[in-house]
Formats: sequence, structure tokens, C-alpha cells
Amino acid sequence: MADARQQRTAAVRDVGAGAGALVVGVAASSAFNEFVPEGHRPEDVLPGAKSVVVAGNQGPTAGAWRSPDHRVMEITGYDFRENVAVHVMCDYIEREHGHRALQAPSLPTAGHNPPMSMMLAAVLAGLGTRSLAANIILHPRYGLLYYAALVTTLDLEPDHPLEEDVCPSKPCIQMYEKLGTTPCLASCPKDEGGCLDGALDEDGRISYSYYDRERCTSRSMNFGIGSIQKSLVQITTEDDRERRKSMIYSDFFSQSLSSLSYYKESVAQCFECMRVCPVGMHERRLQ
Amino acid sequence: MTVSRVMGMPTADEAAAARDRVATMVERGGALAWGVADADAFDEAPEGFRPGDLLPGARRVVVVGGSPPRAADWASPVHEHLETMGTSDRINSLGLKTAKFIEAEFGYYALFVPPGVRKGNRPFLSVALAAELAGCGSRSLAGPVLHPEYGLLFYSAIITTYPFPVTPPPAEPACPAPVCVEMWETEGETPCTRVCPLGDGGCLDGRIENGRLVERRYDAARCTSRVYTHWIPGFQKGLELALDQDDPEARKMVLYSSHFTKTLWSMTYAAQSQGQCWECMRVCPVGADFRDKA
Repeated sequence: MADARQQRTAAVRDVGAGAGALVVGVAASSAFNEFVPEGHRPEDVLPGAKSVVVAGNQGPTAGAWRSPDHRVMEITGYDFRENVAVHVMCDYIEREHGHRALQAPSLPTAGHNPPMSMMLAAVLAGLGTRSLAANIILHPRYGLLYYAALVTTLDLEPDHPLEEDVCPSKPCIQMYEKLGTTPCLASCPKDEGGCLDGALDEDGRISYSYYDRERCTSRSMNFGIGSIQKSLVQITTEDDRERRKSMIYSDFFSQSLSSLSYYKESVAQCFECMRVCPVGMHERRLQ
Repeated sequence: MTVSRVMGMPTADEAAAARDRVATMVERGGALAWGVADADAFDEAPEGFRPGDLLPGARRVVVVGGSPPRAADWASPVHEHLETMGTSDRINSLGLKTAKFIEAEFGYYALFVPPGVRKGNRPFLSVALAAELAGCGSRSLAGPVLHPEYGLLFYSAIITTYPFPVTPPPAEPACPAPVCVEMWETEGETPCTRVCPLGDGGCLDGRIENGRLVERRYDAARCTSRVYTHWIPGFQKGLELALDQDDPEARKMVLYSSHFTKTLWSMTYAAQSQGQCWECMRVCPVGADFRDKA
């Protein structure tokens, strides 16, 4: 029979699932200490933190993945239900259990580093493992998911990191043994102008991985804050009024502004390493 | 009626039941109207902008409508309220939710048509045409697809491979309304063409014959410059103006002006309206009862 901690953990999960989370996992707050420096731990965000609850959800639908018009995936948006689910669970914890709960800060506040890593939170909550493809955390069933988390002083029953690596999957190991590469590495190879490199050991586990984040960012985020900043530099340093005007009203700048302003627009424009990833592919294969 | 299953396709009864489930879900999610259009019926749209161009094997386009300004929004004497108080995001959330629902519940592809624009400021698919083909309403002299009961609604479209039964168009077009036909017969204009006449600096003109709309003229460029005074076009215009100033103080004034500040609010704040002119809809009798509350 479940004890009180297990019961309240199950209740929190149910609330998250009811609010739209596809998956919900729990990590002990103290589990972060081994992996991240001071200043980036749950306790730093919320004194007395005991648990981190992570919610994951899919981004584009299978139909969007299937579209031959690449611009659909470039701008089709997400509903960010994982964020909604986190807020609903926070409200539930504070209201029903009388403990503090806040949404874990995941956007960069300085440089490119967020105060808390949602990737690490997902791994510690047993929702997935790091992959060769840009370190994206792959869920064993769904593959790529988007994650949000909450930090709470409520003591919850933690999950544990997965015992088996999700990446590389079996077909990727077989491909690596024959061709020395995997689908994601082949789609974006570092040595041919791409972003990824890696190697598997004799046991079929990742022994080395490389990810060129700067190169990836410049390609996967063609529209968004970065492209607006880039455009503004060009626009504000252009002395010719007519040229400046054409830059301001260009498709590119308009689309950049749209991606910033339109609530449902994506801010990522490259999905190629995930498009070929076999993990979760069956979930995207419909009628 | 039960039709035998072909190639794993649902029977007519199953498809009808599935459509009912979608209807229940979207109505619970706030939709005031919904409908299903045949994906092959978009002949009017150019190649590249039809459902099959976005989703191979597309069979249907599900349309959900709702989230219009409320009666109180329309009644507010502060015009800035309706200019900034947006409600349309809700229908996009529901559209994406519907796409996910179709994939999860029926195992068929569903593509939420992005509400943003493709190259050249063109939408991926005309959601207005989809709404019309799905029987949610009819096109109007003023432009928007009008629902016979609610008038102006915001719409979201989902292209899918699931063969839901198509919903029929309304028996009678919502526009022109009987009172507009009467006004046309006596005065040669309608409430919307009077409030924004093309021949007098406005955007609308048209012709009614035998009580039916037979011609419509609409100055889209002029309308856009008036409707989107904030949001992206407002920002672009403000930025151009600011950079054209040689005097740093004048540039600073433009950048900190109320107008430029408002454009930034409307761009970044999810719930802000992107349209600032509603005058043709304000006078439209279609849906007027719905906009009228005590």
C-alpha cells in the first residue's frame, strides 16, 4: 500500500497530466548537487527546496513533421502545455499541500546559461537521457520533448535516472557498426559543415560526442531574437535611407519580428537531426 | 449508415462519431463554431496554398471559430481598449489542441495551420476560405467570414488525413443581412460600406443584386495601414522614422513615443490585439444581438 509521500506524488502527477503534460517525472532537489555548480541548484532558486517536478510535452504534431513545406515546421508553434502543467501543479501544491512551489527558471538571464537546466532536470526525473544529437534529451517512447519544471519544498517520491541509455537506439548501433556513423551524425556532420560528431564504444554506448552549439544556433534559430539583433545591427549601420527601408520591410526582418511577436510561432528552424532520429519515430508515424 | 471498411479507413459511422467527439472537445474548449471542409475543395486557392501542399494525403480541414471581442469590449467608450485587448490567441491554442487531439485519439495526421505568414506576407492557407468551405459562415462585404449567429469570429484551421464527414455550407449567406438589403435598396449602400466607403478615402465597396452580394471591392493595402497601426507594421514604420532622424534627440523622441511603445507592447504581449480598426464590424447587423448585453 502506498504511503503518504507516494500518494501525494501520484496526486501531483495526476494534476500535471490533467493539465496537459504528456509525461511527468520527479527528481530529488539534492540530486542536482552532483552535476551543477552552486547558483544553479534548486535550493538556490527556492530555499528549502526538496523536490523538482518535470513536465514534458511534444512540440510539432506528426502532421507538421510530415509537411513538405519546410516553412510549416519553421514557424509552426507549440502550445507550451508543459509550462501550463507546471503552473497548475504549482497552484495545486501551494493550495492543497501548503508548501511553496515555483516554476523553475529556464530562460537565460545572462549569456546563454539558464539559472536551472531543464535538460538535467528531465534526466534526473527519469524522463530521458542525453543523445548524440545536440545533447537533446530523448524520452524512450516519444523522443524529442519540451520540458518545464517546478521546484517545491514539498517532499515527493523521486524517480530515478533511466538505467538504460535511450541514445543510441539499436538501429543506430547497427548503422554505426556498419558505416561508422548514426542517422543524426550523418545528417549534420561536423567535418562537412555540420554541428555533430560522436563515437560509440564496443558496448554500443556513447564514448565521445561533440556539438557545435554556435553553429547550430546560427542555423536553427534563423528567426527570433538573434536574427532581430543581427538585422538591427545591419539596419542601424546602413547609411542609405532607401536600402535601410528595404531592409526594414524585408521578408526576413518581418518574419523575425513575427517569430518574436506571434505567440504560437516557433523560434527554431532546423529539426534535421531529430527528423532522422529513430527514437520516437513510431509515435510520429500515423495514417 | 454503415459503409464497409476500406484500406483501414473508418466507416461512415465511425467517422461521424469521431467528428462528434471533436465537436464536443472544441465546444468545451471555447469554440462557438466549428466545421469540416473537404481538402479538395480549395480550388480557389493557388497551388502551393492548398491543404495537400502542406500535408500530403490531406482529406479534410477542420475549422474552429470563436474568441471574438466580448459585448463589453464593443461597448467600451475607450477606443484604446478594443485596440489593445486581444482575444484571438485562445482560438489558436484550441486549434493546436485540436490537432493533437486528432492525432492522439484517431491516429491520423493533423497539421495545425500556422497563424503566422509565409513568404511575402501570405498566409500558409486562407483560414477565411477554410471557414467558408467548412460552413462556419459566409464571406461578407466587409471582408471577414460572418457566422450567421455570432458575426465576426476568429478562426483556426487544422489539416488532417482523417476523413471526417464534411459539414454543409449555411443555407443562406449571412451577408447581406435583410436590413442591409433594405438599406441598399433605398440608399445604395450598407452599414459597412457607409462607414468606410472606398470612394471617400475608405476601404469598402460592393454591389447587391436580388438580395445577394454580387460584387465586392476592398482596398487591402489601405485597410492594412489602418488596421495594423501597431504590431509589426507599426514597429517597422516607427523604426524607419527613428533612423531617418538626423537629430539624436528627435530619434530618441520617436523611440520613446507612445506610438512606438505601443507597437512593442502589441508585438510582445501575447494577448494584445493586432487590429486597431473595427468600424465595419461595429456597424454590422450580423451577430449584433450577440454583441448586445445588458
